[in-house]
Amino acid sequence: MKKRFKKILSLILVGAMSVSMLTACGGKAEQAAAPAGEEAAPAKEEAATEEATPAAEETASNEAGSTPRNETLYFAGQQWGSINDWNPMSANSNNAMGITQNDASRILIYESLFMYNMLDGKLYGLLGKDYKWNDDQTELTVTMNPDAKWSDGTPVTAEDVAYTFDCHIKYNSSKGNDYGSYIESVTAADDETVVFKALLDDTGKAVNPLKVLGYLPDLYVMQKAYLEKVEERNGEDADKVKQDKMEDLVASGPYHPYYDDDQKVVFERDDNYWGVSLWGGLPAPKYICHNIFADNAACQVALAAGEVDIDQQFITDVQKLWEEDGLPISTYVDEAPYGICASLPTIFYNVEVAGLDDVNVRKAIAWAVDYDQIISSAMSNQSPTFKDVPRSIMNPTEGEQALLDHEALKPYQFEGNDIDGANKLLDDAGIVDTDGDGIREIDGKNLSYKAECPEGWSDWQATLEIVAAAGKNIGIEIETYFPDANTFYDDMTTCKFEIGMFWTPGAAIACPYLRAANFFSKEYAELDVNWSGNYGHYMNDEADAILKKIPNETDTAKLKEYYTELSKIYLEDVPSFTAMYKPQMFHTVNETVWTGYPQLDDGNNIPPMLCTDGYGIAGLYNLKNVEQ
Amino acid sequence: MKGLKKYYTNKLVWYFITFIVAVVLNFVLPRLMPGDPVSGIAARAIQGMTDSTAIQKVYEDYIEKFGVNEPIMTQFVTFVKNAVRGDFGVSFSQYPRPVSDIIKSSVLWTIALQLPAIIVGWFLGNLLGAAAAYIKGVFDKAILPFFLFVSNIPAFGMATILLSIFAINLGWFPKGGGYGFDLIPNQSWAFFKSIIWHYQLPFWSVVLITIGGQAVGMRSMSIYELNADYVKYSRFLGIKDRKIVGYVFRNAMLPQITGLAMSIGTMIGGALVAEIVFSYPGLGSTILSAVSGRDYPLLSACTLIITIMVLLANLFVELIYGVIDPRIKAAQQD
Repeated sequence: MKKRFKKILSLILVGAMSVSMLTACGGKAEQAAAPAGEEAAPAKEEAATEEATPAAEETASNEAGSTPRNETLYFAGQQWGSINDWNPMSANSNNAMGITQNDASRILIYESLFMYNMLDGKLYGLLGKDYKWNDDQTELTVTMNPDAKWSDGTPVTAEDVAYTFDCHIKYNSSKGNDYGSYIESVTAADDETVVFKALLDDTGKAVNPLKVLGYLPDLYVMQKAYLEKVEERNGEDADKVKQDKMEDLVASGPYHPYYDDDQKVVFERDDNYWGVSLWGGLPAPKYICHNIFADNAACQVALAAGEVDIDQQFITDVQKLWEEDGLPISTYVDEAPYGICASLPTIFYNVEVAGLDDVNVRKAIAWAVDYDQIISSAMSNQSPTFKDVPRSIMNPTEGEQALLDHEALKPYQFEGNDIDGANKLLDDAGIVDTDGDGIREIDGKNLSYKAECPEGWSDWQATLEIVAAAGKNIGIEIETYFPDANTFYDDMTTCKFEIGMFWTPGAAIACPYLRAANFFSKEYAELDVNWSGNYGHYMNDEADAILKKIPNETDTAKLKEYYTELSKIYLEDVPSFTAMYKPQMFHTVNETVWTGYPQLDDGNNIPPMLCTDGYGIAGLYNLKNVEQ
Repeated sequence: MKGLKKYYTNKLVWYFITFIVAVVLNFVLPRLMPGDPVSGIAARAIQGMTDSTAIQKVYEDYIEKFGVNEPIMTQFVTFVKNAVRGDFGVSFSQYPRPVSDIIKSSVLWTIALQLPAIIVGWFLGNLLGAAAAYIKGVFDKAILPFFLFVSNIPAFGMATILLSIFAINLGWFPKGGGYGFDLIPNQSWAFFKSIIWHYQLPFWSVVLITIGGQAVGMRSMSIYELNADYVKYSRFLGIKDRKIVGYVFRNAMLPQITGLAMSIGTMIGGALVAEIVFSYPGLGSTILSAVSGRDYPLLSACTLIITIMVLLANLFVELIYGVIDPRIKAAQQD
């Protein structure tokens, strides 16, 4: 009896378990579908407006259901949250995939006048055809491309360019605030000619002609008629205009917004794009899609699985993806450093901190750090070594290196891991350990510092660990500190750090000047909250004087002299030191579906800018579908 | 009845006081974190800007806009005033998106993932616990220890194991997201299938680690009850086994109900790991980004939701106990 009962009960239990599992699956599916159902509405609406006839509607809603793999270029590493607007004047747009205005702007939706190519440092025409300075660099004249059209079919005119600038100024956008300090006015001489008048200083020279030129590849041109509409619906209120979502945007780029939610953003190609005349055809992918991933690891998994075509993220030992895993993945350069390094992640000293105000201490730490180890471990060889590209304030690109007298800098170079040299330097300077605790002192105070960078920036964290180890070898206590990013930003920008790692400007039309200012500018150091550079408040009158001469200098020989001199100060006085070289963008591609990505020395001169930024967008027109 | 009324009033008053304290803490604690929330937002706004005074202008504009320069009391009064109307202000990190909008778009995903997972895990765990207590054998010697082992794997470990085995190595399930990477939400069978498909791994990662804990609780309660005097007495009286099992089960269930209510109350916090590992949309990842972005309004709203849910769950348990546990009724009548 008891046995039988047991049998029956076990049968019931097993049955109940299976049923509960099944019902659980059913139940959850229904519930999970709820939010998606809600979100389905806009996609459907969009599809319906596109196709008016009922017969076509069905096809449209089918199309709206997917972005077919072989018609879509999938991105990762650019967009980390759902987008909030399409407004280029917004200061808070997190729509990185659609709106990124910088030295090489992302020109998928909106377009800039020119496209910057970091390979040759030149500007290529887009909405603008060519540009010309007057003799004293106070007026820059841009001729418009007569073919350029808005998505509504009307031509892009000089008036649009002028009105865009005026709006940025009128509504105090971040860009307006910035460029307003260098550009006095932008006017339309006629439909096809725009004149940029530089703001002049007391001596009648332009404040900074480099910044005037920097406007051309940076700011998107917006349509005057559309801007007027936006102004009208917001009553010309600055806050409201800047917060307008601009979902009904009119732009000139090859794509337009198609779909977005918390998980993705999708653009669709505009088949009437004006640029066919410029590029000789339409870009290959019909859709551009960026799924929103939780973190880098998730992006990398999707890249390896072929669900991502172009990935902008640091991948440790990226070569293993093709060498060991045999995946069809490649980078811009086949061998280390796998990319074009253009920026200089730098370790800044706060020279207001006791001890770090002593050049011997700064120098000793910089000499003792093992850079080869940083490059081989923290960067997994994705940076040239300092033997390949000796230290200076320039990035490793040919254009910038040409502006240096390498021979003159040779005596000041250091390659790192020079423990003996560093120890000797400190001993000779009388900075020794008197109390026998293994740590040197100045005025009886131990040399003990905190080196910080944000938590989660793993390559930087590894770098600072190596710096800390170097300190140990020379009797300077360096403790690593990894706060959250905001605390770190706060420490750096208000000079509350001791030793901190921060980025510096990469490749831009206004570089290397901007980077030099980042290292030396006195003006930056005097700010209460300083986001611009010289975070450690290093003051050097000589450097500052040279810095002031650069923007108005056009003679290359003179520029070379200035940059060499600044580099000499940089190496001799060590206000900060570069830890490694880093690519402007990590540009790793999976060629399962698309091929023909830009590569170094493929003869196309297209920079590794993800086929979306600046002249890098040229890559989008060379892509080929593997199946076709 | 009078006893019960006193019991309920007493509970409600205490819950109200707890709620007030929780609201204050919700507001104050995030603001005690080191770091300046404006820095992060300003960092984005001024990227690429070079003119120093212009940068300063943007920075100051934000400080004023977010009111973080106001005294904390003033900020609190504004917060409460708006919160009562259901307005949690605009998010700092996704400015100018309203907090309510962010929560609205993610909360359904979390509930749809967590609620069924917790209930299924709870149900299976209790069945397993009961089976281990009564039937013993393979349930007690193999299945229960196995699930006990599994439940001790930390949530992120379990999620990562499932992801690497079933998604990356075997390729049976998708590697992340709420629906297909190449789909756009619509009302088609393909999309519906994709939703179910993407749901599996996050769902089972929660279920699997819930089972063991519930089962072991149920098992020990059942064994305790099985050896209770009333069971022996009932057996002596010759009451049918099935009837006795019913009594035992009902008594053993009481603490389990508390457990269920508590896990439903804390499900939003618990959703964090599964959502992050599987890049699954929901409130968990929202909380994480709010913490790292020093997004006070978003963080306060999320923690307030958790607080309210925990309080409601507890209150519900206490209220229902008054009805289902005769001991409480008896205690109040003393």
